Amino acid sequence: MIRVARILLAALAAVTVPIGTARAGDPDARAVEAFERLPVQDGGRVKPIASFARFTLLRVSGGASPADDEGRRYSASEWLLRLALFPELAKDDPVLLVEDSQALVAVGIADAEHGKRDRWAYSTLVPALPGLLERAHAAEGIAAGTRTSIQEQTVRVAESALTVLRLGRTFDFARHRIPLVEGTRVAALFPARADASVADVIERGPEIARLERDLAATDDGREKGAVSALWRAASDLCADAQILAWIPPAASVAAEPDWKTPADLLVAARRGEAVAEAHLGLLRVAEEVVARRTDPARLGAALEELVSRTSALAAARGEIADLDVEVAYQRLGLLRWANALFVAAFALCALGWLRTRSLFLSRAAWIAAGAGLALLVIAVATRCWIRGRPPVSTLYETVLFVSATGAVVAMVVERIQRQRIHLAVACLVGAGGLFLASGYEALDGQDTMPSLVAVLDTNFWLATHVTAITLGYSAGLLAAALGSAYVLVALVRGERADAERQRSLARSVYGVACFALCFAVVGTILGGIWANESWGRFWGWDPKENGALLICIAQIALVHARRAGLVRDLGTCVAAAFGGTVVAFSWWGMNLLGVGLHSYGFTSGIQRALWTYYVVQWSVVALGGVVWLRRRGVTRARSSAESLAIAALDAGTPAATGNSVPPALPRRTAPAAKSAVR
Amino acid sequence: MQRKYFESFVLMHDAGPVSIPLPGANLVLSLLALNLVLGGFVRIRKSRETIGILVTHAGIVLLLVAGFVKHHASQDGRVTLREGESAAWFESDVAWELVVRESLADGSCARARRAVRGARNAARPTRPRRSPRTVCPSRSRCARRSRTAGRRLTAPACSAPEPRDKEVIARMKFAIARGHGTPPLAGLVWGAQSAPFAATVDRRRFEFDLRRERHALPFTLTLADFRKEDHPRSNMPRSFESDVVVDGERTVTISMNEPLRADGLVVYQASWGPQGAAPGAVLFSTFAVVRNPADSLPLVACIVIALGLMHHFTRKLARHVRLQRAAHGAVA
Repeated sequence: MIRVARILLAALAAVTVPIGTARAGDPDARAVEAFERLPVQDGGRVKPIASFARFTLLRVSGGASPADDEGRRYSASEWLLRLALFPELAKDDPVLLVEDSQALVAVGIADAEHGKRDRWAYSTLVPALPGLLERAHAAEGIAAGTRTSIQEQTVRVAESALTVLRLGRTFDFARHRIPLVEGTRVAALFPARADASVADVIERGPEIARLERDLAATDDGREKGAVSALWRAASDLCADAQILAWIPPAASVAAEPDWKTPADLLVAARRGEAVAEAHLGLLRVAEEVVARRTDPARLGAALEELVSRTSALAAARGEIADLDVEVAYQRLGLLRWANALFVAAFALCALGWLRTRSLFLSRAAWIAAGAGLALLVIAVATRCWIRGRPPVSTLYETVLFVSATGAVVAMVVERIQRQRIHLAVACLVGAGGLFLASGYEALDGQDTMPSLVAVLDTNFWLATHVTAITLGYSAGLLAAALGSAYVLVALVRGERADAERQRSLARSVYGVACFALCFAVVGTILGGIWANESWGRFWGWDPKENGALLICIAQIALVHARRAGLVRDLGTCVAAAFGGTVVAFSWWGMNLLGVGLHSYGFTSGIQRALWTYYVVQWSVVALGGVVWLRRRGVTRARSSAESLAIAALDAGTPAATGNSVPPALPRRTAPAAKSAVR
Repeated sequence: MQRKYFESFVLMHDAGPVSIPLPGANLVLSLLALNLVLGGFVRIRKSRETIGILVTHAGIVLLLVAGFVKHHASQDGRVTLREGESAAWFESDVAWELVVRESLADGSCARARRAVRGARNAARPTRPRRSPRTVCPSRSRCARRSRTAGRRLTAPACSAPEPRDKEVIARMKFAIARGHGTPPLAGLVWGAQSAPFAATVDRRRFEFDLRRERHALPFTLTLADFRKEDHPRSNMPRSFESDVVVDGERTVTISMNEPLRADGLVVYQASWGPQGAAPGAVLFSTFAVVRNPADSLPLVACIVIALGLMHHFTRKLARHVRLQRAAHGAVA
């Protein structure tokens, strides 16, 4: 698996060689490829630095791969490596996203070059940084939700600027050397040297600490000053390295779960503890990396050395089994490709409606959609593999799962009904879901494979309750999409719509709604059983529980109304379209309410997308009403014409017998109108 | 607030200037049960076609029964233990009881207690009862003596609980009869008072205390150790675990999603503290305790419903696919 991933990686690296001229200080491909695999501990888990870089850049820049001045795109790992090795150049790169430049005007920065929403270079923000931080600090005191958008922006920009500042100084401990005061006893610990690196200080740490204790009894100000200046300089150089923990401890995971930063090693050394040889070795290799930054060949080798040493230490603790898989996942961007394929397949389907006899178009659409689905499924499976968890454990993953299962169900229905419309809806669900996923990922800017809090950390319930309820969401939304298609076709084609096709489409809407009902009901009850298992109550009228109940009620109402004959095809489809908004409300809307056990956080961008969906679906429901009124009008006209004709027959007028339908209506649509209104 | 909407038959919803009468969850659920029985069992056509539907409806009825049993026959509450502490009782989250103690001459203590139905948190005031009965925890000498103390209690008149520091704490007014001719002695107790209300009647000294209603545990629970672990280098909790000793014999670990089930009771990890305690400090762990005779009924209902739905819909789907195949075959 890992070897295959590596080969794939190499192949992909060959294909995606960046086009355009590299800037000074741009790391070469070998260095980036080595760097991506550096394991770090972040957010409670060990991950490749590629993942750390990706989500940090998403937060800072709002995009996974921004472009430089010349339009050349670079990956998150390239950005991070350049920032760490060449901070003096990288500070001029425009990466810091400012959504609303008003936030900067308030601290006295404004220029004509930047737009309202634009990416700024760190160096242009530096003059205003103190003011920005001060305002951000004040804004953080205000409760979330009551801040203005400018205050939100100020906080976000200040956080981004600090992140860039600290990442740029991550390797300061390996970049600078500390001058020694000649003739002092502390300088004598470093024989024949005018200066010392942080690694040297950590290596001699116990001796310096002993010297410091000895000096405490004397009142030699010069000697004492030299020692404390050395400690201070070393800890200043390490301060910003704390953002990245990339040094695995020598002890076992149980004994020492936390990875270390150079600052932690310095603290240990100052306490008089001898620092492990392996850790000192890592610091020396880091120095080597920084020293070779302008020499591509040796930089790559030094980075590979750093990665192999770190990985060996982590592997000894049994912590980095699937790091290469995750690097490959981040690098391949399977979801992007899947999205492109779904969009292409949808275009092919649309062309297929124009040329209904083209076998080629239909096959091409199937192949593109199938390939998109395959990539999506592989991506979901890879995520399961990496984290050893069922497919859905976070809100982000529900989106992937809903897209994948929605597309699968739609394709299965297409195989049964053979109508060409289900395949198109499958592509729509797949592409829409993946757009939503990438949008949410960028908005959130957090690791999408995070550690889980205690109550969620249970594979059994994630695999049963969460999977079932998410399948319910997926089928509910699919039924809504198919129902909307029915209403729109009925509206646009009116009496010319193919009655048999429409009936078959309505049947599939009903079928998918039944599928949704099954999983929503079972998933909801399983959720109650889980709650009973962890808190001792089956049902607590929690918002998310109420949302799940609403979905169940909506689907139950639909199924019963159809069985009882209260609604026919049109009614079923309108109800399914409305059911989609119930699902969306329960899936996303509930989280935006910001209360309850299941709320994951608030994002205003989601609010907008959600309301767009509500409005679209409610419009479909309203249009369904229009179709109903029109059909009723047609039936009335028809029945009155029929009674006229019968009256004419009774009167013995032979002219009326040939045409029992008013001339305004084409004859063949009469059964359609009848069956639809029935 | 939740009780107002979800544990009532009819309620008045305050919508700004006007109040709208709304049906409460009890009424809605009762109507649902009635409708389910009439529509899903009585009126439905019974044939091989509808087996799945009938089974599904039976499952939903089972679920409603589970809810009914839980609502009427379950006890729930919590017990908080410091590391090293033991308890053989748990206390209710909502219900209160009045405890009467008499200090006896031999230094022992007679005790009587009485559940105060009206003094539930956020409940309406209830009418005083005519003949209060004293509930005795055991048939000991204490209990015999305490019955006399109990008789001296006249009907407790419970007033509506008043909010205090955002938390609802019950308070209760009562009167103590003092023989013929002497006016009764009025008393007032608060749920959170630090010392009991003391009164001397006939040269006997009584103490009155209002506290959360206590239920006996059929075993003694001792907290040996509580552990809270975070994910490394983050403040996201990875696990909460309590090692408890049951009856001084067997040690069980209770953690999130892994409760202790014993003697019809389920003990869950609910809370812990003190927050931000220094490493090595003595921690406390709070357990939720539930006695629910219908504990496993929802699982059975879930399986029944799943089977019913699956049976019905797979039958229909299979038939539809068959017809569709035939139709396509006819076209071809």
